[in-house]
Amino acid sequence: MAVKYDLNEREVWDGNFAASQALRQAQVDVVVAYPITPSTPIVENYGSYVANGYIDGEFVMVESEHAAMSGCIGASASGGRVSTATSSQGFALMAEVLYQASGMRLPIVLNVVNRALASPLNVRGDHADMYLGRDSGWIQMGAFNAQEAYDLALCAFKIAENHDVRLPVMVHQDGFITSHTAQNVYPLTDEAAYNFVGDIVPVDDMLDFSRPVTYGAQTEEDWHFEHKAKQHKALMDSRPIIDEVYAEFEKLTGRKYNRVESYDMEDAEVVIVGLGTTVETARVAAKELREEKGIKAGVVAIRCFRPFPFDQVRDALEGAKAVAVTDRSSPGGAMGAFYNEVAAALYTTESRPLVTNFIYGLGGRDFSIEEAKRIFIEQKAHADAGHITTDIQQFSGLRGPHLGYFQTKRG
Amino acid sequence: MQDLKLKANENRGLHQLEAGFDLLGWDEVTQGSVLPSFEGDATGIAGLKAEERDYSHHNSYTATVASWRVKKPVFNIDVCIDCQNCWVWCPDSSILSRDKQMLGIDYDHCKGCEVCVEVCPTNPKSLLMFSEQEDLETALSQWPEKKKKEKK
Amino acid sequence: MAITSIKNLKEFSTNNDRFEGAHTLCPGCAHSMIVRELMNCTDDNLVISANTGCLEVSTAVYPFTSWDTSWIHIGFENAATAVTGSEVMHKVRKKKGTLKDNDAPVKFVAFGGDGSTFDIGFQWLSGAMERGHDFTYICLDNENYANTGGQRSSATPIGATTSTAQAGTHSYGKKEKKKDIVSIMAAHGSPYVAQLSPNKWKMMAKGFQKALETEGPCFINTVSPCCTEWKFDPKDTIAITDLATDSLIFPMYEIIDGHELNILYRPKNILKVEDYLGAQGRYKHLFKPEYKHIIEKIQSDIDADWARLQRREEARV
Repeated sequence: MAVKYDLNEREVWDGNFAASQALRQAQVDVVVAYPITPSTPIVENYGSYVANGYIDGEFVMVESEHAAMSGCIGASASGGRVSTATSSQGFALMAEVLYQASGMRLPIVLNVVNRALASPLNVRGDHADMYLGRDSGWIQMGAFNAQEAYDLALCAFKIAENHDVRLPVMVHQDGFITSHTAQNVYPLTDEAAYNFVGDIVPVDDMLDFSRPVTYGAQTEEDWHFEHKAKQHKALMDSRPIIDEVYAEFEKLTGRKYNRVESYDMEDAEVVIVGLGTTVETARVAAKELREEKGIKAGVVAIRCFRPFPFDQVRDALEGAKAVAVTDRSSPGGAMGAFYNEVAAALYTTESRPLVTNFIYGLGGRDFSIEEAKRIFIEQKAHADAGHITTDIQQFSGLRGPHLGYFQTKRG
Repeated sequence: MQDLKLKANENRGLHQLEAGFDLLGWDEVTQGSVLPSFEGDATGIAGLKAEERDYSHHNSYTATVASWRVKKPVFNIDVCIDCQNCWVWCPDSSILSRDKQMLGIDYDHCKGCEVCVEVCPTNPKSLLMFSEQEDLETALSQWPEKKKKEKK
Repeated sequence: MAITSIKNLKEFSTNNDRFEGAHTLCPGCAHSMIVRELMNCTDDNLVISANTGCLEVSTAVYPFTSWDTSWIHIGFENAATAVTGSEVMHKVRKKKGTLKDNDAPVKFVAFGGDGSTFDIGFQWLSGAMERGHDFTYICLDNENYANTGGQRSSATPIGATTSTAQAGTHSYGKKEKKKDIVSIMAAHGSPYVAQLSPNKWKMMAKGFQKALETEGPCFINTVSPCCTEWKFDPKDTIAITDLATDSLIFPMYEIIDGHELNILYRPKNILKVEDYLGAQGRYKHLFKPEYKHIIEKIQSDIDADWARLQRREEARV
């Protein structure tokens, strides 16, 4: 039996510590890990919980992130609860195996502390690694602060291990801004947390020798498509189950999560759509602008990046006049990927708001309240003019001459 | 050898490995492309002979690669000394040995590689290659005599 | 006892196969001879992993599997990590009592070809060996990337022609010496490392059993002649291994705890390496007069390696 860990009703934790406490309370059986800034403390802490008897599990330090996820797959296919953490280059090295984990339908929980991808090398937070995972077949949820990193990690196990889901889940938090900033966190008691997550019930358990199973079969053109379609359906079908888990969590804690979060959206005309810590900054800006200038500003945040909440994004935004979609990842010769997804959803509405794209905050460049306000004010200008008055894609917070692309053909 | 009734024979030959299974829709394929090897409880499977096992239709035991073969090994029980060389070196699990006795060839799994013939130590050999079309009786009637040892 | 000593082949043949036919390995492939023997030498439950390679693509072609045990393939490089992930989970679940049968013995085995073992999966293998998991890694060494059509690996010997180390008017094929994987694995401090060959079935079975019974990470390199890429008649697979072990290009030996070397097989009549090389198309070009020195080099390397092995055995270091 695990040694009791003393918790206060209110703790001061950073995002990494919060995530590691969720791993402890879920009594994760095996963590296979490789350290990388800024996610390292999550697995270090798990290791110290094992070393001090707070968890009856095993901590395996391997020789690379690729091996970390490979070990997680072997462990998860063997029927127990499995988790790890990574960031950036480590995430990139893991990429091959991420697809295998989801293809095999293994309920691994990966805590991703978002960080930019080299080159040039950078340890600060942007969403390049999160975007790299977007076609990997994982559920991807975003935490905007330490409390959410804790809450969503608990929810992640319950979602992943649900037999109608059986998909791996990533819980994202922003590097340093969330992962290394101590904030108030209200944890559950160990009993309440574990009861919420529940025991894992294995499926296709490699250690059940009454039913030997083969994992990782070869499928060519006659079978591969059907398997990938089935996997896509599982992701799409996870949406109501995610909602149920969030609802159950709300009953337990009073903290309510939605796959799409809306703030000040009841009458909003201009909107910033964002991910991660940007959301909290934009919310402050929206509130201030409403008071200072009477601009009806609102914020829409994507909690659940995958499966992408196409319908809920549309519902949240169709009443708006101008929408700025913010991408914290170098777009690599295209519109931001997040922009493309939101714009595609809005294209199917009657109102078709004006949608522009901001590339911002790369490599941990600060996203300030002032910058958010400037974006809102620009949206107001589009709304008033009835068409987009700037380049559709702009780089924001960048030194040097203006960098932007494409103009509207509407209006 | 034909007396050995293999339980899974009922399923055998239905599925040509290359031709594939009945092609199922996306809603019918197994979750995560995981394949169970057996139906029912397979505890202690190592203690069960093939004919005692409840193979699932996903087990390649129920499939055949007979079409790969252009020549087939024919087994002559009268010459065999049950040394089991063919059993240990058969790459296709196609030597039917039970209770230390060689019973014959599993023609659903044999690819005709001829390794069994090569490693057979008897004189004449107890396994010889014949055309795939040759019937067994004719093949056995053509069996060579014992060869005299060549002088070195 | 689930691993019992095997007295003779008749007795061995009463074991029931857990590796099934109708896989799609080439006729005469030694891979399946080796895999069958591993699986037949124990009754214990097995969790087996495989790196990408001939074995993997031929034995789990959806909707079929040839494996009667738990089996997993992830990628080209990570079979050692996959199976040791399972081994760790087994340890935890046994402690927690959440296994279906908590007392049943389980062995963990990873298979890889030489490409995945010597090259792309080398880091994963090294990591798993260093971490000291209780598992056995078996390399099916056919000295090339056979699954992708016969490219050179760092296990390909000097003088062999492959599709990426071509023999031609200006080349005798691969220029570099084969990597000494057995010594490298022994240097990890592994409790049991060996090099074995399927023609000596009893020695191979004994070696497999020793590896399975030894606690900790064990490594076995097995010679697995590839009729397709070595270019010989499929029926001659075992004959080729006879030439390999008797010419000593593939000596059979074990190293215990990283230092105690035992030679397992001493041929009564040591064959010239020409006999081995001449039986395979991949060395055909070496018999041209201009490449005579390469054959001489291969022979002198074999002689030196054999002398080294014998000195190590004598010295017990």
